[in-house]
Amino acid sequence: MSRIINVGDQLPEFVVPSVDPARMKTMAAILRDPYRVHWDREATREMGLDGRVINQGPLNLSYIVNMLHAFAGPTSIRRLTVSFARPVFDGDLVVAGGEVTEVQDSLLVCGVWLKRGDEIVVSGTAVVDVAALASVSS
Amino acid sequence: MSKSTSPLGYRFPGGRYTIADWENWLLTDCTTAQALPENLAHPVSLFHVPILGAGTSIAELFEICGAEGPGSVGLDGYDWEYMHPLRVGVEYRMEGGIVRWENLVDERDQPYDSMSFSIEMFDGSELVARITNTWRFRRRKVVGA
Repeated sequence: MSRIINVGDQLPEFVVPSVDPARMKTMAAILRDPYRVHWDREATREMGLDGRVINQGPLNLSYIVNMLHAFAGPTSIRRLTVSFARPVFDGDLVVAGGEVTEVQDSLLVCGVWLKRGDEIVVSGTAVVDVAALASVSS
Repeated sequence: MSKSTSPLGYRFPGGRYTIADWENWLLTDCTTAQALPENLAHPVSLFHVPILGAGTSIAELFEICGAEGPGSVGLDGYDWEYMHPLRVGVEYRMEGGIVRWENLVDERDQPYDSMSFSIEMFDGSELVARITNTWRFRRRKVVGA
């Protein structure tokens, strides 16, 4: 199936209705991450954060990755350059989104973000190869 | 202001890492997605695989950089390049080190050290991926210093 892609196109959003603290625990084990703020509510109470644990940065980025995969396929990502502006907490509803900013043959440069409400918590740029999707225009 | 000495130039021992199927399944589940086809590893494996494969760990990086407990470490950014998709069951070789260290002050006049480390990941002699991650180590302000 061919698809025409233009600068300014919005990428379909990827929604995480409620960030799950149990997944943070599993992720901490996989990453061998000793930072207590991801799995120990007492650590975030000490920080004045009301005991809500903080999602790992890679998980915040993963929602953007999943959004890109749904749009362009599982081998499409060539580069991710992101900054982390705000922490994401358990129970947050976050939405990953993006917009095409440049088209170079089959490569798209996209502005990408993760939002909590109107607040941008992660933002950056992704380069994705959409060769498998066929038609691309600028 | 900084409690730690500069680790700039520190080289990781280097080493090898193979992404296990169970590990990729669990990690992908943590992202709320379904497992990818054809032994593809989730791209977010590019966080822990280079770190562990290079022979270091988050704990060691915290120690080298003088992390001071909950709230003292922040994440500034990632720059990840994929020359090839990552795959489960492939033995990757990693090498890298700490490439940047700066003593800075944030917008609230609080001191911190900004550290970047970079790791390259190879399949045989072929470069598969390259990462540069930047972390922030917040320091207590020394009053009267």
